[in-house]
Amino acid sequence: MELFRLEHKKLWRKNSTRICVLLCVFYCVVFGSFLVFQWITYGSTKENYSGNNFDGYENIRNCQAYVRKYGVLTDESLQEWVRDCKRLFAQLDEERKTQGAENQETVHKVENSDLHTVNAWLRTLYPDLERADMLGVSVMSNYVETEKLTGIYERREKAVDTFFEINNQTGAERDYLLRINEKVKTPFSWGWTEGWSNLLGSAISELGFSLAIFFAVVLSALFAGEWHDNTSALLLTTKNGWKKLATAKILTGVAFTLELFAMVAAGMIVLQLVYFGTEGWDMPIQMIKMIAIAPMNMLQAEIYEYAFALLGALGYAGVVMLFSALCKNHVLALLLSLAVTYGPMAFHERVPMWLEKAFDLLPLVGSGADVFRTNTYHIFGHYIWSPYLIIWVPLLIGVLCLRPAVKGWARRMRG
Amino acid sequence: MELSVDRLTKQYGKKIAVDCVSTVLKPGVYGLLGENGAGKTTLMRMLCAILEATAGEVFLDGKEICALGADYRDLLGYLPQDFGYYPNYTAKEFLLYMAALKGIPREEAGRRTDELLEVVSLDEAASKKVKTFSGGMKQRVGIAQALLNQPKILILDEPTAGLDPKERVRFRNLISDYAAGRIVILSTHIVSDIEAIADEVLLMRKGKLVSQGTVPELTKEAEGKVWELAVSPKEAKVWQEKAAVANLRHEGEQVVLRILADDKPAEEAVPCEATLEDLYLYSMQGKK
Repeated sequence: MELFRLEHKKLWRKNSTRICVLLCVFYCVVFGSFLVFQWITYGSTKENYSGNNFDGYENIRNCQAYVRKYGVLTDESLQEWVRDCKRLFAQLDEERKTQGAENQETVHKVENSDLHTVNAWLRTLYPDLERADMLGVSVMSNYVETEKLTGIYERREKAVDTFFEINNQTGAERDYLLRINEKVKTPFSWGWTEGWSNLLGSAISELGFSLAIFFAVVLSALFAGEWHDNTSALLLTTKNGWKKLATAKILTGVAFTLELFAMVAAGMIVLQLVYFGTEGWDMPIQMIKMIAIAPMNMLQAEIYEYAFALLGALGYAGVVMLFSALCKNHVLALLLSLAVTYGPMAFHERVPMWLEKAFDLLPLVGSGADVFRTNTYHIFGHYIWSPYLIIWVPLLIGVLCLRPAVKGWARRMRG
Repeated sequence: MELSVDRLTKQYGKKIAVDCVSTVLKPGVYGLLGENGAGKTTLMRMLCAILEATAGEVFLDGKEICALGADYRDLLGYLPQDFGYYPNYTAKEFLLYMAALKGIPREEAGRRTDELLEVVSLDEAASKKVKTFSGGMKQRVGIAQALLNQPKILILDEPTAGLDPKERVRFRNLISDYAAGRIVILSTHIVSDIEAIADEVLLMRKGKLVSQGTVPELTKEAEGKVWELAVSPKEAKVWQEKAAVANLRHEGEQVVLRILADDKPAEEAVPCEATLEDLYLYSMQGKK
């Protein structure tokens, strides 16, 4: 325990560790959360669309207030939203005609109406109502015939089925996915979705992508750094020797991963609570993507994505520690660690589907946003929905790396 | 306590670094002498069980040291030649870290660290980072870490490198005091250090142990082979090329050469008392 305490202290004493932690927290919490909430994504549009105002907090409140009145997603509430939307667009047209420019207040109202989300629903659920001649001219909600927006949940079931067909997911796989989909409860409660969409669709699901580089820099020197410091002879002649030290180093690597993750996650969650509050936590994730099959609400999806990132980070820590133990040069260990994650990420879209799925099982390569997808793995005759697998396999990979790391380091140390 | 080395050999490819060394070491201070590449460090690393021997074994009281594992390491203190440290650690933090590696309980480690920092005169620099230390100060930190667990077997590879004369005297006194009942093996190029503290000297050449004995015993081997000869500066240059000259000093117009030779090198040469350094140099000439 004492050795772990000192090893942990040693890691945190390094300038590279402190700089990495500082940069990571700044990038994920200050830049990736605070500035995004207050300015980059949620700030209201400036006049002439010349950037955003620094008013995210107030603007988010307006967004939430605008959608709150619809309550539950039904045919009637959807039609009401579309009517309101058309009114706003008509008002914009009128302002352009009479004043020569749009009124900024009306522009903000349109922006705050969850326009992109609802239009995505319309395109998914009512493709037959979409007009080819209006593509790129106007959003669907501005021209769709309101009274034809009926049977929303039946339409959703059909859209899910059509998606399976297009995706060539048939037979047992389709039945398996439909069984998951059956658990999705309707009607859906309706709140401001865009915030949750950004949060679950990119901010949290891509957290691992951002964290990987910081974990790699710090942990690649954990074992390999001893060669740089030329301390192997000293370590090998001590009573506890390399074996207990290796255990202490692994515990240190795990502790550091948990600590850095906790710092970043805590910062992001606090800012999320400050900016979004808890409103909309119980909305089903289908409000973000209508053909998602997971019977999850926003809070459950968020917990999943954080758990996915944490377990992925722990798995990645195991992989980095293995490279660190096997390489005498910590720069080489760093490069290998980065390659194992960023390499597959870079080629993800350009490889066959089976390889893409295999890549997704590597630590921090896959995405927590798979809860919105219908990917499956076919293993020993059974179909497994990808989120079940991609959350555990990276951790397993990391755990499996630990023993070879200890053994490899011992072999290296003994020359 | 007895450390026996039995036909210990280390081979790297075709090069034999340590060639069938056998000896028995009992409590006392052993000085390991030899030129660069003689195999001193390799021998020491094998004695520390951090380097696997190609052949031969090392026994502590009849038990093979690798089999003893942690029990052997618990008795061991080692200062490597290129002593590595953690640059961002203070001297005290480094020693506490090493104490934890040596399995010393936290409280005892704190006490022992303070004691040793005082012994190596680093108590005032205890809270300064090791990376800011001079070479001599770093070496003293290295000596302190080797002594942390009060080892029964202390192996020091070039411990006096980087120490100034005053520090060297302090170190020699420290080792002399410490050595009672313990086996201390130290290597150095500074023959006077070994002369001052070693009970026995082990002379190595090209991986082989060529001599072992007390300082008087070894110097006796060089007796009758050390000569002094006064010559002109011009002749001195010629002598330096044709004979093994251990030393030269200027006396007025003349240069007095200390020549190592089996036979009287010149009519005017006078025999003089041999020192360990003479033996060392004589041995390194390959004439022994």
